[in-house]
Amino acid sequence: MNKFKLLACSVLCMLVFTFSQAFAQEKMWVSSDGAKLKADKTSSSATIATLPFGKELNIITLEKRWYRVFTSSGETGWIYRGKVSNTEPEKDEDDGEESFFDDLPGTSIQADASDSSRSIRGLSPEANEYAKSTKTPEKYKRALDNAMAITTEKREVELFLKKGKIGEYAQ
Amino acid sequence: MIPRFNSGRRNFLKFAGTLGLLTAAPAYAFDIFKVLDPEGTSEDIQKAKQIFQGTGNILASTKELDFESELAIGESLALEGFRRFGMPKENKNLQKYVNLVGNSVARNSTRPKIPYHFVVIDSPLYNAFACPGGIIFVSATLCKSMKSEAELASVLAHEIAHVCHKHALKSIKRAKFLEGVTKITTANMKGEEGRKFKDMIGGLQDILFERGLDKKMEFEADFSGMAFAYRTGYTPKGLVNVLRMLKQKEQAATKKGSWFSTHPPLSDRIGKCSHRMGRYPDSSSLATVQSRFNTYRRFF
Repeated sequence: MNKFKLLACSVLCMLVFTFSQAFAQEKMWVSSDGAKLKADKTSSSATIATLPFGKELNIITLEKRWYRVFTSSGETGWIYRGKVSNTEPEKDEDDGEESFFDDLPGTSIQADASDSSRSIRGLSPEANEYAKSTKTPEKYKRALDNAMAITTEKREVELFLKKGKIGEYAQ
Repeated sequence: MIPRFNSGRRNFLKFAGTLGLLTAAPAYAFDIFKVLDPEGTSEDIQKAKQIFQGTGNILASTKELDFESELAIGESLALEGFRRFGMPKENKNLQKYVNLVGNSVARNSTRPKIPYHFVVIDSPLYNAFACPGGIIFVSATLCKSMKSEAELASVLAHEIAHVCHKHALKSIKRAKFLEGVTKITTANMKGEEGRKFKDMIGGLQDILFERGLDKKMEFEADFSGMAFAYRTGYTPKGLVNVLRMLKQKEQAATKKGSWFSTHPPLSDRIGKCSHRMGRYPDSSSLATVQSRFNTYRRFF
């Protein structure tokens, strides 16, 4: 009987310890756009999921600038340390939920494979109104329009970081 | 101004309670004023109403401006930027390169969801500034004096931080145009409102091109920028290097309208940023990317 009590007590202690560890997991939040959960702690490993900005993560360990994490939806993987923060990022409602890197809403066009419509739209009507009222020379309007027409796609940024061996692509 | 209350503590509590309640629930503010004082005869309530209106205008002017409106302000200011500092460098590959460096850092900023645009301008000044809405200018002279991509990234990160913290908008929160405005449209840019809008852009030019932002904002942008660069994978020491380089150039450089006159003294910034490097013990192992930068450097 005493042996049984001892065993039950041990199991109970182990359960309490396990759960307390689980609940004491350090939490972090995805704080970058287009953060990927990887199968291993290298950028070349398979992508398990692309995590949304602000997603809560439970930290298991940190190894060589990569966190091993698990998500509330049950996925476990690795994320580069630059993509997370230890405080929940503020969501600016004015900036909207959509990222300019996300797929274009309401279409089947991927942002990666498209240009923004910026060059077609030109300056905002308000800036045009300002330019008109201040008699801003056309060359400045054209200069700004050209500058705003330069688009930077997600895949370009990824390739750029990869070629420069920067961040998660560092060796 | 705090009104005097001749009926003592009770009236003061009535006033404070009303103001507190109204501040917490602004949507119901003016209905509650009507209920409390339907005839508009209570001096205390009327004074509270005036104070509340003022507070509401200031809050509205900083909190509720949407992104499109912020960008409209930024575009208008950018037009003045070209007029003041010169035209963009006519090299598409160079402009693309700077946009790639900037956007790499921007997506690890605290405001990664807005589009950022970076423009290298053909200016002899050592200068960079950020317009609201994410339009960022950097002078070719400043870029040419750098030695690595990490240094360029650090300057762009500093400017991105100004956009993230909405420093320029906070600096003009008392502009008459912004009183109660939540969305800028061409409709509220006509006549008198149009004049106020121009005054506001003039105020922004004065701050960003002449006087500079508040020192605390600049230090905040330095620290946030270092964090954004670090999170991207660039060494945050890039900023310290640029500040040291500028310190060497300071004596012979044109001050007016440059980073020298619109930013806090370089020695203060170098001191604070060098101390901040203590947070990044592994910085020496992070990217500097000198070779790629050098291939573009001659085009600045």
